[in-house]
Amino acid sequence: MRAYIIVNLFRNSSIHCTKMSANSDSKSKRSFKSMSSNPSSSGNNSGDGKSSSKKRKTAQKTLGMAWGANSRASSNSASRNSPFADFGSYMAVKNQKLHEQFDAAASSSSHSASTSGKSIFRGVSIFVDGYTVPSNQELRGYMLKYGGCFENYFSRHRVTHIICSNLPDSKIKNLRAFSGGLPVVKPAWLLDSVVANKLLSWIPYQLDQLGTEKDNQSKLSTFFTPKKDGVSESAEFLVDGQQIFENDNQSPSRVDSSFPEDNASLEQTDRFREELDDHSQLNINKPISEEPACSVESSYEVKGVELNDSPDLDEKNSDLKHKSSTFQASVSLSSSSLSIHNSTNPSSSRTKLAPNQGHSTLVDPNFVENYFKSSRLHFIGTWRNRYRKRFSSLSNGYRCKSSSLNTAVNENNSIIHIDMDCFFVAVVTRNYPELLDKPVAVCHSDNPRGTAEISSANYPARDHGVKAGMFVKDAKTRCPQLVIVPYDFGAYEKVADQFYDILHKHCQKVQAVSCDEAFLDVSESEVGDPQLLASVIRKEIFDTTGCTASAGIAGNMLMARLATKTAKPDGLCYIPPEKVDTYLSELPVKALPGIGHILEDKLKKKQIKTCAHLRAISKESLQKDFGMKTGEMLWNYSRGIDNRLVGLIQESKSIGAEVNWGVRFRNRNDTRHFLENLCKEVALRLQGCGVQGRSFTLKIKKKRGDAGEPVKYMGCGDCENLSHSITIPMATDDADVLKRLATQLFGYFHIDVEDIRGVGLQVSKLEGADDSKLVHKRNSILPWVVSTSSKDRDRNQPVQLSNHGDAGSSVDTGAASLPPLEDLDVAVIESLPPEVVSEINDMYGGKLLGFISENRRKTADTNLDAISSRSGEDLDASVEETESFSAVHLVESNTIAADNESGEVAPPSVAVPTSFSLKNLMPSSLSQVDRSVLQQLPEELRKDIIELLPQHREPEFVKGSSSNVINEEPEFESSELKDLWIGNPPKWVEKFKNSTCSILNTFAKMYHYGCGGCLSSLLQRMVSEIFPPIDAGADGFHDAVSWLCELFKQYIDLKIATDMEEIYCCIRLLRRLCGRSDIFIQVNNVILPHLQRLMGEEYGGTLSIPPL
Amino acid sequence: MDRKENRTPQAEIARILVEFLEVAVTSVVFLKGVYPNGAFERRRYMNVVVHKARHPQLNEYIHSAVYGLLPFICKGLVDRVAVIFFDGGDVAIERFVFKINVNESYSSKVEQSQLEFSLRSFLIKLPVSEPLTKVLPRNCRWEITGYFRCLPEGSTSKDAEMWVPTDAKHWQQPPQITPIKSMSSEPLGLQLYLEQPSLSEPKN
Repeated sequence: MRAYIIVNLFRNSSIHCTKMSANSDSKSKRSFKSMSSNPSSSGNNSGDGKSSSKKRKTAQKTLGMAWGANSRASSNSASRNSPFADFGSYMAVKNQKLHEQFDAAASSSSHSASTSGKSIFRGVSIFVDGYTVPSNQELRGYMLKYGGCFENYFSRHRVTHIICSNLPDSKIKNLRAFSGGLPVVKPAWLLDSVVANKLLSWIPYQLDQLGTEKDNQSKLSTFFTPKKDGVSESAEFLVDGQQIFENDNQSPSRVDSSFPEDNASLEQTDRFREELDDHSQLNINKPISEEPACSVESSYEVKGVELNDSPDLDEKNSDLKHKSSTFQASVSLSSSSLSIHNSTNPSSSRTKLAPNQGHSTLVDPNFVENYFKSSRLHFIGTWRNRYRKRFSSLSNGYRCKSSSLNTAVNENNSIIHIDMDCFFVAVVTRNYPELLDKPVAVCHSDNPRGTAEISSANYPARDHGVKAGMFVKDAKTRCPQLVIVPYDFGAYEKVADQFYDILHKHCQKVQAVSCDEAFLDVSESEVGDPQLLASVIRKEIFDTTGCTASAGIAGNMLMARLATKTAKPDGLCYIPPEKVDTYLSELPVKALPGIGHILEDKLKKKQIKTCAHLRAISKESLQKDFGMKTGEMLWNYSRGIDNRLVGLIQESKSIGAEVNWGVRFRNRNDTRHFLENLCKEVALRLQGCGVQGRSFTLKIKKKRGDAGEPVKYMGCGDCENLSHSITIPMATDDADVLKRLATQLFGYFHIDVEDIRGVGLQVSKLEGADDSKLVHKRNSILPWVVSTSSKDRDRNQPVQLSNHGDAGSSVDTGAASLPPLEDLDVAVIESLPPEVVSEINDMYGGKLLGFISENRRKTADTNLDAISSRSGEDLDASVEETESFSAVHLVESNTIAADNESGEVAPPSVAVPTSFSLKNLMPSSLSQVDRSVLQQLPEELRKDIIELLPQHREPEFVKGSSSNVINEEPEFESSELKDLWIGNPPKWVEKFKNSTCSILNTFAKMYHYGCGGCLSSLLQRMVSEIFPPIDAGADGFHDAVSWLCELFKQYIDLKIATDMEEIYCCIRLLRRLCGRSDIFIQVNNVILPHLQRLMGEEYGGTLSIPPL
Repeated sequence: MDRKENRTPQAEIARILVEFLEVAVTSVVFLKGVYPNGAFERRRYMNVVVHKARHPQLNEYIHSAVYGLLPFICKGLVDRVAVIFFDGGDVAIERFVFKINVNESYSSKVEQSQLEFSLRSFLIKLPVSEPLTKVLPRNCRWEITGYFRCLPEGSTSKDAEMWVPTDAKHWQQPPQITPIKSMSSEPLGLQLYLEQPSLSEPKN
């Protein structure tokens, strides 16, 4: 434990500090702080001054000014000398006057330019913010000319569009507060509209800084819905807007009520229009898949109509109510059509969620589920299981074959490695020919400032330097025109299946690497030329899926894989055996599979950059430097040697689920809930793979103490990884058991739940669910069920149990298989329907009823039977963990049910559970009980079992739970001497008081004089006390010594870890007392070795005690 | 002020403890007379007269070494902090060991005044334990050694980087231990004891 020592040394001879760097460092830090604090504060001041002076400048028409109009605080000084009551009323009058002026000017300009005077801007009311080109006066002119409105001061009610070329950062961050949800558009919109002589959609002219997403990160939720820019987004938009008014999530249908005023609803309709524009855009961008097409289109139609109407402001005002309701309708219509769409596409319907979905464990009760639904890694991870299920027969068939063919690697082998080209992007973009040559990336969120990570990018995007794993914002800086598309897991699944269908059609030996990547062994293919075969496969893949694939052909898997790298994108590369050497010699080592950053760096240090360099080194020295396995791998790979066989499927060693994104907890309750869901997920995965596990590891990512909020939105940031694991004797895949174990494991961590950034549960030591059933038979309580006397007969019973389905056969065996009467469980029989009981009674020749009544009498006196009658119900029901219990129970009820149905009594199967009578069920002694099982039983039940079992010498067996249950009759002496320092006053006081020994009496008296629980102060008093000496031969001398020894011992045990000083004190006082009475000498002699031993254990030294 | 309230009790304990350790280590060094008395100046800490090194390097050494432990104490990694005195060679003559036991599960507010009151007794007790200690030979040196419960993974902060792993230098025989002062409060347990080579320790 203390093997790790950290030293910081300092030499006396010269005061020479080697830690000067740290010294100066801290100093510089300090000075930096002082430097930075001053300018920043002054900067702030000047900034404040500037902004406040700006505010006072009425000429400057900023939003700040406009809002200032409504704020009394800032208007006090201005209003003091004005004829107006306050600044607000002044502004009202001013605005009114400006409007009048504008109207007058408008009418005159429309007269003068009546020829061109088409009111294209009717209903549009702009507010110009900041500097624009053309200037705001020119824009005002356009508005005058074409029937629009121009607002000098921002008003949420009157303005419909905000025009600006540039926005300060603060306004972007606080866009909603700034714009009130109104569109923020570039002036080019107005100019282009004038040129086009009609009102264009403002969407393309939206300010670049805002991007396509209005709300930043919360929009990630749109990812959860299959069509991200669809209705859910607008619905959320509404809810968002509403949240400004009420901090409460409400359904969009209630929006109306929150905008009672006309103006507000005008704004609302505007917002709707904005969404509709979104939709229409969506319509343009997205060819609609066939089945739902009609419904989706119809919903768009509605919108289209509304859209055309909307410029008609007058009409709009007249029946606003009606309109908003139709808008509402259109929205709901489209959402319903969306759901239709979803239902036609089963995989995507999975991903449909409520619109206002939260993104952390805090908000979303179904976080875990949703998380995994939308995780690409999860898709890849679980894909394998899907694949194995789908093609299990094929791969199994092959596996047998390969093992039989497991001879030396043939020279003429040819392996094809086939890999889809940027699968995740290609699958999504295949339906959009216009995106073909454009840079496209797949990502959860396309917020240009977002910290979502790009998961895959196509080749044009890669040319711009966009890489997987990059944040969207970085990718967008590298490639501003980057188009971001969301995942489409349904399509991925479909394409992957098609891909493998094709591969399996052409080749027997397929090894799946991933959903989009596989090895084919075509050595024995009928098609002679592997190149031909590969091109056929590639063509077929393209024809079927619309995505391209690249293929590499070579003599082994390694070379085939390398060839694919050369082939990409959309190509084919064949490396014949004779060209392997030349191909490899120029290959950088990094290109070899299995060489990551770390290994590459190591190699670089040795000046090894290409495979040719690597080949120059002997295998031995490689193995010496990099370890046996890695060394051999390097040596082989650099020579193009790869002996792996296609088709070897690695069984997964562990199954688990881990969530490292969006994990935020407030309290234990949150974590409990989260763990519950995580366990469900893991249990589903286990069941999906048909395995059960015995070892469970809970991993926690804990935020480092000094780490702030991570850069990545809701990411995990800089974390410590902690884990605890537990192994249970019986494999399980049960969610409840997992939950209990996970909760238990979680309890070991002792960490602040708020620091948790990620949780994962991993299950290992996997056993096939079928195997584990067999194992159950061996490990379970079932063998216990049989009494030792009747072992031979009962050995067969588990088999019978599992085969109870063909109960008929056992019936056929007839009375021969009737279990002895005494093996029947009365409780079970009693719970049977009367007719069944009478039938069984007949079979036993009428003895059964007598047996039952006799048994009832027994039950009355022995508590054994009290439990036995419960064991059928409580035990089984509560002990899900001990699955054999429940399994038996299940079988029991099943057989009974089956029997009732068939109307045929099958005594043997009824008899099986009857062998449950408690004597047989229980192991012969406590030591045979599986401790972990026992500890997981409810307290009451555990107590019962323990009482029942013959006890064994294991007092700590059920430690902490009910230790007193076992120690019913411990040695009298020791219990007397135990825990002397427990209680208040401690136990010894009472004992000593009643003792016959005067010294002990004095001790007790001293305690009552107020020495508290402190032995040293007690001894201190003893030293000054006069007490009669007792001779060694006197009565009770030995008793007194042993009492005192015990007193000291227990005190030392109590204090040794925390308070050496006290013990030291006591020992010294004891030494002083030694001169007073032999009794203390004896005590001292007994105590010292004990103390020194403890000192050695605790402190690695001995207490230095002055000689007597 | 705001920052202080956001701290965990452990961080608060560690802060108080580290401040105390700086004073205590200086006191030990002063007590042992490694440097002339003139190298120290009298200060008042927790209402006790203590000594503080005048020499900036000595002061800085103790300060930086002890404050470098802060992150580790926060995490409960530090088991003991020892001030070890060596003779001319590499043989330790005497070790003043501070055994630290921060209650990691302590969650209520730390009463600084109470903790300081308990810690104060160490500073009072320390000078009177001088007779227990051995006289140092000339040409001795001393170091501060931290004994960790487990090796910290990576360095968490700049200050911590100054602490480097080293091998333990142990006496061959279990040392003689003389307790100087112990305290055990709910948030923090601290013991100061003196380790001296046992009488049977082979002399070289």
